[in-house]
Amino acid sequence: MKLKVLLVAVLVCSLLLAGTSCRQEIRADEKGKVRVGIVFDIGGKDDRSFNAAAYDGVKCAETGRHPDGKPCDKPSLGIMLRDVEPGNPTSIEPAMRAFAERGYDLIIGVGFAQAPIMEIVAKDYPNINFAIVDGASTLPNVASLVFKEHEGSYLVGMIAAKESKTGVLGFIGGMDIGLIHRFAVGYEEGAKAARPDAQVIVNYVGVTDGAWNNPGKGKELALAQIGKGADVIFTAAGNSGLGAFDAVEQAGKDAQGHATHFVIGVDSNQNGVKPGFVLTSMVKRVDNAVYQIVSDVVNKKFKGGFHTYGVESDGVGYAIDQFNQSLIQPDVIQQAEEAKRKIISGDIKVTDAMLK
Amino acid sequence: MNNIFNVGLLLSAMRLATPLLLAALGGLFSERSGVINIALEGLMLAGAFTAAAVTWYAGSPWVGLASAVLAGAAIAGIHALACIRYRADQVVSGTAINILLTGVPALLSGAFFLSTGSTPQVPKEQLMPYTPIVIAAVLVPLTYYVLYYTPFGLRLRAVGENPEAADAAGVSVNGMRYAAVLISGALAGIGGAYLSIGQSSLFTRNMSAGRGFIALAALIFGKWRPVQTMLACLLFGFTEAVAIQLQGVHLFGGEEIPTQFVQIIPYVLTIVVLAGFIGTSRAPRALGIAYQKEK
Repeated sequence: MKLKVLLVAVLVCSLLLAGTSCRQEIRADEKGKVRVGIVFDIGGKDDRSFNAAAYDGVKCAETGRHPDGKPCDKPSLGIMLRDVEPGNPTSIEPAMRAFAERGYDLIIGVGFAQAPIMEIVAKDYPNINFAIVDGASTLPNVASLVFKEHEGSYLVGMIAAKESKTGVLGFIGGMDIGLIHRFAVGYEEGAKAARPDAQVIVNYVGVTDGAWNNPGKGKELALAQIGKGADVIFTAAGNSGLGAFDAVEQAGKDAQGHATHFVIGVDSNQNGVKPGFVLTSMVKRVDNAVYQIVSDVVNKKFKGGFHTYGVESDGVGYAIDQFNQSLIQPDVIQQAEEAKRKIISGDIKVTDAMLK
Repeated sequence: MNNIFNVGLLLSAMRLATPLLLAALGGLFSERSGVINIALEGLMLAGAFTAAAVTWYAGSPWVGLASAVLAGAAIAGIHALACIRYRADQVVSGTAINILLTGVPALLSGAFFLSTGSTPQVPKEQLMPYTPIVIAAVLVPLTYYVLYYTPFGLRLRAVGENPEAADAAGVSVNGMRYAAVLISGALAGIGGAYLSIGQSSLFTRNMSAGRGFIALAALIFGKWRPVQTMLACLLFGFTEAVAIQLQGVHLFGGEEIPTQFVQIIPYVLTIVVLAGFIGTSRAPRALGIAYQKEK
């Protein structure tokens, strides 16, 4: 008897605790405000990358300040914000439904994996606005926020090839999926355009969603690429990418105090994660896109369908700031800017791996 | 091909095998005493989170490592209490702990670092990339010695094989099992610490990524013996290292080998061993059976 009670207690406690991260108290005390619910990807809102960018966007919309407290360049939209970090893929749908049941005005899903789930939920709540980042839906009440990652990756590929001493570049993707192939293919095309003899080693962490949370494997992949001569490594692997940052830091600096190997960050500006070792970051302005869709809902201008962000609207691009301006030659930046103009004008066409 | 098999590959294999070996040796103590420990995955997560969080605050990986040992042992204590004192089903208790540990670190991380996804990155100077490898290497002969050449080891094996006889000889069956399960938690905790402050520099949710279960497979593959278990872990680490090196490499006239093929080798071997094709892998006789003194 005692034994059964204890077992049940342990099981219940563990399930409750496992679920805590996805069960946030949703209060309806802020009446009159536009209510926005956001469901993050498995990486969690502080992955210093993709989810962090989405969080930044909604946080600016809520408070006018970044999550670290610094003011945004955009005004607060006076919304009420609730967020959920699902502990596993099965808790995404209940989280979305919980927001929908409470009559939220906008529900944002972060990450491609949520698209099919949102498709099901949004059909049941046709009067609620939904937005999916990185996913596509044809429902009229779902806005698909998509990015031309291949264009941004092309530009950082050029920079990587120009700054590489060995001509060997690395790419570490998270999950082996179409969306990440888009980064890889754009990167390789950019690298080959800048330096036809460039060689790109493409690796993926895994084939399950655990691939975004395995920094140990990310580091091993980076060390293997370094072993094969790669000196610039572009990561698109969530938390696993941070392992590559550790790997280049471990590879060290030369006698002049310059790093010998570099990483290129992704999604958020990661230049400051390991200053001096990050050549640049392929920024994907998920923050702007998310802020924009919230603003559309606030101003009652929400439209479903595709909202595409490319280099022309600075939806994707490369980051130059105080951490990396000394790492990149000015003429390389000029060439990247030139390529950017050509992509906008259509003179350069970057392959979109998801359309193949 | 010739640039794949090099010293880097062997070093990589050792790094990949280290967390497996630490967890598997932990599992060895527990299982040789008769307590199934499928909670290794959760125990590693406990160690990984504690090591990253404490190192971040204390600034010393040694303090982080020590805390990871304590955290692993503490969580293993729950398993021990459920399995030994309350004679709960050992698989169910282990599963509960694994589920518990997918949530608790996220909860604590959210409370301390305002982020349920991961802890802040520990600076490079405060990492411990080599010490756990040395610890794992030293633990193998030490475990061997303790298990086969000390009274403690003899009693441990006795309570795992024939608890009634051990009890009749005056050995405290449950006392031995408590000690063994706590040791397993401590060792798995070191394995977890290596993941967060050795191999990488932060804790991320579920970062053990199934390594606890792979360690368990290595333990079974190694027939619950320290040296064989080490060899199994090295094989598992080696195949993963080869898979990493082979990714994207074109062999045999341009065809790319799916790395998953290389990665399944250890598991296929484990099944082969379990099926009795390569010798037999016999579990300790009293494994999974709670001991109740006859009245």
